[in-house]
Amino acid sequence: MSVLHVLFKVDGTEYAMPAADVVQMESFTGATPVPGAPAHVAGLVQVRGRVIPVVDARARFGLPATPATLDSRVVVGQLGERTVGLLVDSAREVVKLDPRTIQPPPPMVVERAKGYVKAVAQVGPRLVMLIDFPRVMGEETADVDGQR
Amino acid sequence: MTAPGEFAEFLPAYLAEVDELLASAQRDLLAVEEAVRRGALQPRAVRELFRALHTIKGLSAMVDVEPIVSLAHWMEASLRVADQAGGRLPESSVEPLVEGLRAIEQRVRQLGAGKPASPAPANLLERLEALGPQVVDAAPRKARAVVLDAEAAFASRLAPSEREQLEGGLADGQRAVRLDFVPSAERAAKGLNINTVREGVARHGDIVKVLPLSGAAAGGASLAFALLLLTSAEDAVLLDVVGGAPATVRSLAAAAPVAPDAASPAPVPTDSALGTPVFEEELEEPEVRRGGGLLRVEVSRLDEAMEWLAALVVNRSRLTRAVAALTAAGAPTRELATILQENGRQLRDLRSAILRLRMVRMGDVLERLPLLVRGLRRTTGKAVRLELEVGDAELDKAVADRLMPALVHLVRNAVDHALELPEERVSAGKPPEGLVRLGCHARSSGQLEITLRDDGRGVDAKAVAKAANAPVPESADGLLDLLCRPGLSTRQEATRTSGRGMGMDIVRRIVVEQLGGELRMETRKGVGTTFTLRVPLTVTLVDAIVFECAGLKYAVAVGTVEELIDVDALKVVRPAGADGLGLVERRGAAVPLVSLERLLERTAPAQAAGACGTKALIVRQRGEPVAFAVDRLLGQQEIVLRPLEDPLVRVPGVAGATDLGDGQPTLVLDLGALGAARVGRGVGAAQSGGWAS
Repeated sequence: MSVLHVLFKVDGTEYAMPAADVVQMESFTGATPVPGAPAHVAGLVQVRGRVIPVVDARARFGLPATPATLDSRVVVGQLGERTVGLLVDSAREVVKLDPRTIQPPPPMVVERAKGYVKAVAQVGPRLVMLIDFPRVMGEETADVDGQR
Repeated sequence: MTAPGEFAEFLPAYLAEVDELLASAQRDLLAVEEAVRRGALQPRAVRELFRALHTIKGLSAMVDVEPIVSLAHWMEASLRVADQAGGRLPESSVEPLVEGLRAIEQRVRQLGAGKPASPAPANLLERLEALGPQVVDAAPRKARAVVLDAEAAFASRLAPSEREQLEGGLADGQRAVRLDFVPSAERAAKGLNINTVREGVARHGDIVKVLPLSGAAAGGASLAFALLLLTSAEDAVLLDVVGGAPATVRSLAAAAPVAPDAASPAPVPTDSALGTPVFEEELEEPEVRRGGGLLRVEVSRLDEAMEWLAALVVNRSRLTRAVAALTAAGAPTRELATILQENGRQLRDLRSAILRLRMVRMGDVLERLPLLVRGLRRTTGKAVRLELEVGDAELDKAVADRLMPALVHLVRNAVDHALELPEERVSAGKPPEGLVRLGCHARSSGQLEITLRDDGRGVDAKAVAKAANAPVPESADGLLDLLCRPGLSTRQEATRTSGRGMGMDIVRRIVVEQLGGELRMETRKGVGTTFTLRVPLTVTLVDAIVFECAGLKYAVAVGTVEELIDVDALKVVRPAGADGLGLVERRGAAVPLVSLERLLERTAPAQAAGACGTKALIVRQRGEPVAFAVDRLLGQQEIVLRPLEDPLVRVPGVAGATDLGDGQPTLVLDLGALGAARVGRGVGAAQSGGWAS
């Protein structure tokens, strides 16, 4: 059973996550910074009236920052009750991934990718990284003191 | 004319009560109208309507609102007559009554807005006054060929409407009987009690009244029940239902008409019989109809409770920090930490309990819609059916109050513009009666979803595009964007040809900007349009000061700001070694001046060192005044505070976010907490990776 995945690019590398976890894609016109939020949080954006935090994939993956472009996208995903966004360089494609082409990542990748990549899949001649969305978004609280 | 003046303190309670009475009166009037149209009687609704107006009159007299007193008086008078006539109202009386209620409602709103109530329109009063005689005329003056056997029917214990019902049934050829049921232990054992008998009898006729009888009854029992009913069933059947003898069945038709003289109708209660003792007595009963453990509370009191709670929450964060400091200093704080944790849980429970107190039932909120549709039916000449599928959804009073105008707008648009005239519908192969359907569903995400569907002509995308002078949108969202353009409704051709668009910008502003919700639309030409609104179940409205700092807008609750001051850069003193912290003079005391820009890490520290804004907000931080320098004050406004729930952005000093209308979330700061959280440990420390994950 092939599963529909959304593909996006960060720093030239292609990543994928199940389309079922993606609520929508938004173009990125800037986020409201939140003082004291974790460094990989780009800030807040408003999506259809809701205010959601956006994680900057570049910052999260430890890549150099680049200015947002017209291609920049916020992949809005659902994590249980949370609605969160992931800022990526571009996102254009939706593909069906055959589970047979999905392999666990090589140990070296596991080590270096801090667990953000949970598998590697093949789309034609290309390799795409299946990200562990919950892990990328993380639950790090900004401050021990945060209420609740 | 009347200024509430000295009664001002009673006014909030008065308004709340009258509001509720008006709502129930509107419901009852719709029921009455429906009955009148079908030529049926609706004695209960007439009576309830009468009671509501009676109470409104009494309350209004107490706070001396003369226009409402006179309106309610004449409405009440005609309804009293109608009640005496068994709940019979002529069709012509409905319209003035509707107008009367509307006039009362308008005046209540005026009072609510702090204005005096305008005088009651004289011609409306005249029409209402003229209703009484009309109602009397409408009452059947048929010579009673049938008369109740007064003794058998316990005439003195019957309300006029009940008597009318029985006599009417007799006149229509039904049997009016009194069925006596005598309970006993052995019958109870067989499952025969007054409740099961009631149910059983109801299957064979209409029960008009059940009277308990005390004193010796047939069969030697000391308690019996007399059921007065209209039926076509045989005696034997009825007797069987109540378990046979000693039960009895007795006809209520008098053996012989008391007065064969038709010129003097039997006691039809008309003018002379106005206000029979039975009725008046009932009115004097203490008002317990809204009992059932319900309590009416002014919203402001709930707000007050919420504010105290907010203070507790703020205090808890201070406590948490103090404990953290103790822990860091090596003190044994394990037990404290446990208590603190428990305390946090309790605060959360208290918060949700208070939020629940503010919830109102959506069903109650929407009470006004049927009346609105009724009015639209008349003004547009369209046949409309309004279906409400509301369930038991609840939402915050503040949200409900804001949402209502948007819903009214959408319903009005649907009837006014979307639905076709009956003949157009028929020729389009649709039923002549249009359908407007409103449904509500609470979502798990703390949102309420409201759908408003009509089966009208649908939005003509081309016409809308033309009117908006824009390309034809490809998606429903794009079309909605066009519809919501502020200018659109003012164009004549837009409203005529698009069939939609009247004030849609207002709807969007309420739903999206004010409530932080979502508005979507689906439309199919010739089939209909569905609007979907998603609004949060609760919002907190806050009066806020909006300002700019380092190129970004921020808001802060007015209540937390002690003073706004101008900062003269030349007068700021910078003590050595204070890391850029300034001091300003304020009424003879030195107040620390903090650069908010720097606090928020919006600029490089080197740049920020000398810089400071021209304005400052003085806020108490740990009890001490601190001035927070900002670049520019933008004004004061009411904002919707949306708490930031996600762990990634739940930070001290940020109370939440709001939308100032630019589509970009604006942070609502809690300056005291922000300063305490960040200055306390030093901004530098925070920067050097305090938050690193």
